[in-house]
Amino acid sequence: MSKIFEPSSSWKSGLAKTVTFIVTKDCQLACKYCYLVGKNEKERMTWEVAKKAIDYILDNEKQFKEESVIWDFIGGEPFLEIDLIDKICDYLKIEMYRRDHHWFDSYRFNFSTNGINYDSDKVQKFIAKNREHLSIGITIDGTKKKHDLNRIWKGEKPEKGSYEDVVRNIPLWLKQFPGGGTKVTISSADISYIKESVLHLYSLGIHEVNINVVFEDVWKEGDDLLFEEQLIELADEIIDKDLYKENTCSFFAEFIGKPLDPEKDNQNWCGAGKMLAVDSAGNFYPCTRFAGYSLREKRPLIIGNITDGIDHNKLRPFLTLDRLTQSPQKCIDCEVASGCAWCQGENYDAAQTSTIYQRSIAICKMHKARVRANNYYWNKLYRKLDKEEEREEFEKNEVESNNPIC
Amino acid sequence: MLSMLKYLIVQLDDTSTSFCHYVNDRKTPKLIPLEILRRAIIWSMKENLMVQFIYPDYELPEEYKKAIDEIDHVDIISSNNKDISLTKVADIIIFNSINDTGGYKLNENKVYVIRGTFNEIISNKDIIPDILPKATRLNLSITDIPALTPQIETEYAEFLDSLGEKVKEEYGKNHPVQINALTDRIMLDEMNNCNAGFEHITLSPDGNFYICPAFYLNDIQEGICGNLNEGVKIKNENLFKLTYAPICRECDAYQCNRCIWLNQLQTLEVNTPGMQQCVTSHLERNASMKLLAKIRELGEFMPGKEIPEIDSLDPFVKVIKNKY
Repeated sequence: MSKIFEPSSSWKSGLAKTVTFIVTKDCQLACKYCYLVGKNEKERMTWEVAKKAIDYILDNEKQFKEESVIWDFIGGEPFLEIDLIDKICDYLKIEMYRRDHHWFDSYRFNFSTNGINYDSDKVQKFIAKNREHLSIGITIDGTKKKHDLNRIWKGEKPEKGSYEDVVRNIPLWLKQFPGGGTKVTISSADISYIKESVLHLYSLGIHEVNINVVFEDVWKEGDDLLFEEQLIELADEIIDKDLYKENTCSFFAEFIGKPLDPEKDNQNWCGAGKMLAVDSAGNFYPCTRFAGYSLREKRPLIIGNITDGIDHNKLRPFLTLDRLTQSPQKCIDCEVASGCAWCQGENYDAAQTSTIYQRSIAICKMHKARVRANNYYWNKLYRKLDKEEEREEFEKNEVESNNPIC
Repeated sequence: MLSMLKYLIVQLDDTSTSFCHYVNDRKTPKLIPLEILRRAIIWSMKENLMVQFIYPDYELPEEYKKAIDEIDHVDIISSNNKDISLTKVADIIIFNSINDTGGYKLNENKVYVIRGTFNEIISNKDIIPDILPKATRLNLSITDIPALTPQIETEYAEFLDSLGEKVKEEYGKNHPVQINALTDRIMLDEMNNCNAGFEHITLSPDGNFYICPAFYLNDIQEGICGNLNEGVKIKNENLFKLTYAPICRECDAYQCNRCIWLNQLQTLEVNTPGMQQCVTSHLERNASMKLLAKIRELGEFMPGKEIPEIDSLDPFVKVIKNKY
């Protein structure tokens, strides 16, 4: 039978606490779509802050009952602080063991990197040391043209793209992390490059492409139609050339585009509040998107700090938030609602007041375009499988995918 | 027409007494401009709103009194108000210290509010029983709810139980005195919250409408919801409604104020209460449950009314349990 490649589910999905260290707000790049509006070279986490954060979290084991933990490192570009990260990870391993913490041997270190200094000695030593507990994703946006359109070096005049500096590290990364996926972000200017970019990433050996449109209100008249056209062309390529057997693209998933039950499907999409982020000042956030450098319009939403601990009252709105309470009626009534995502941080930033309870609907027309293309994809694929008499077998074996890509 | 709004609160001066959980620390008088007051009164008539005036302790100028007299209204004053004629006619009297009740001549036609911290109220637990025989309606308003600790929890529960005994005695004397924290829950079958931002808003001396006086006095700019020129503009108005409050809509502490300002202060969201507000209300709810049983020892009382036993003082626990 022909096999359809399925996206890997994230490690301990739903069972792990994600603790994110914002180790630096600096990055070598100045990507045009980056939501981090307050990046700077000054705010770097010190060892003292990191240690105090770790001690607080491990001291309060009862507050963190999840069976596993993902120690996540983010920037800016996290590998700019590889010395600090190495020290943090060593300390975490020692302390989890010394305390006989329930997270010992049930942890991951997770990185999203721009990939530029992936091959440096320090990063490679770190990888070798922690290989068994490591997840690393390198962000590459597709073809050189598409990648360099947005992912440019900071402070370079004229603009200088970073594609060549990243792509040279892809083979090493895939050798060390076979099956590694990449995250692609689509903004208004990138739409016409979607098809060629996804196909290019497949050709580089990246079989899992997690791709999403930005949640911000950047969409222009006609973007939805162009988007739909690109996805249809991509669907044709993937199906006609049997690429679905070895590759996956998160734009196409069977669960997308169905009505949602008001009672059964009332959960919040986003995990903000179940996660914890800490920055260089030692402040805690429900997710990195609530830190000051991520916000355009609103004040940082701080839920505690490494000295006083977490203010659990400030987590209550996050933990009780549901889909219906934050959605406008048109979303509640929407016939193609499933798979329409939101980012709690962007909702907060775009809301009329400082609330997480007002859902931003800036991606509405893009979601509907995606649904049309997604319907086309599955109808076409199933027809092909029917003709090849492999549909029944596929449906028997298929795994429901419901992974939001944040 | 403003179909949701039922009444307008007018904070006549920056030093007007607080009547609720918030503390007014302002000492410098700043009277609402007379022109704004007059326009607010006409606007309220047109919008069919009941008006509640909150007074400063000093006597208002005559032209203000005349303007206020043009509309049916409620007067809220502190027990230290210097205007003797106003003191006689005022509807709601606020004691900003429990000790101010001593020697104050109570009137059965008025509502009295005692404001104080947990410790002030609990440590003066003998004062309130003395007031009960002379009062018809007494509201307790705790001014430091976020300061609730497990020890205060225990002490407040004991205080309410002990006060319940005194209320029972009054019922036995055919004097069914009302105390918000103890008797309201017995009478209610659904939420009866403050409903600021939904049923009422506040006009402040700066000419703006606010969600309630606490938003004005604490300079919370997001609490501004229009003015007399532009009309009422409540952003995200749904969030002030019970149906948009995930914890409160599952709760049966019907007497709870569900204080929007405390919500904002403690959780940063107007629709989400902090743990301390929930626990305080549930201590009162459970004390009401016990009081109901005590009153029934005297004879038949509200047959069919039951307040069920619950296993948590915080409805957040129930919401989370159902959700995850």
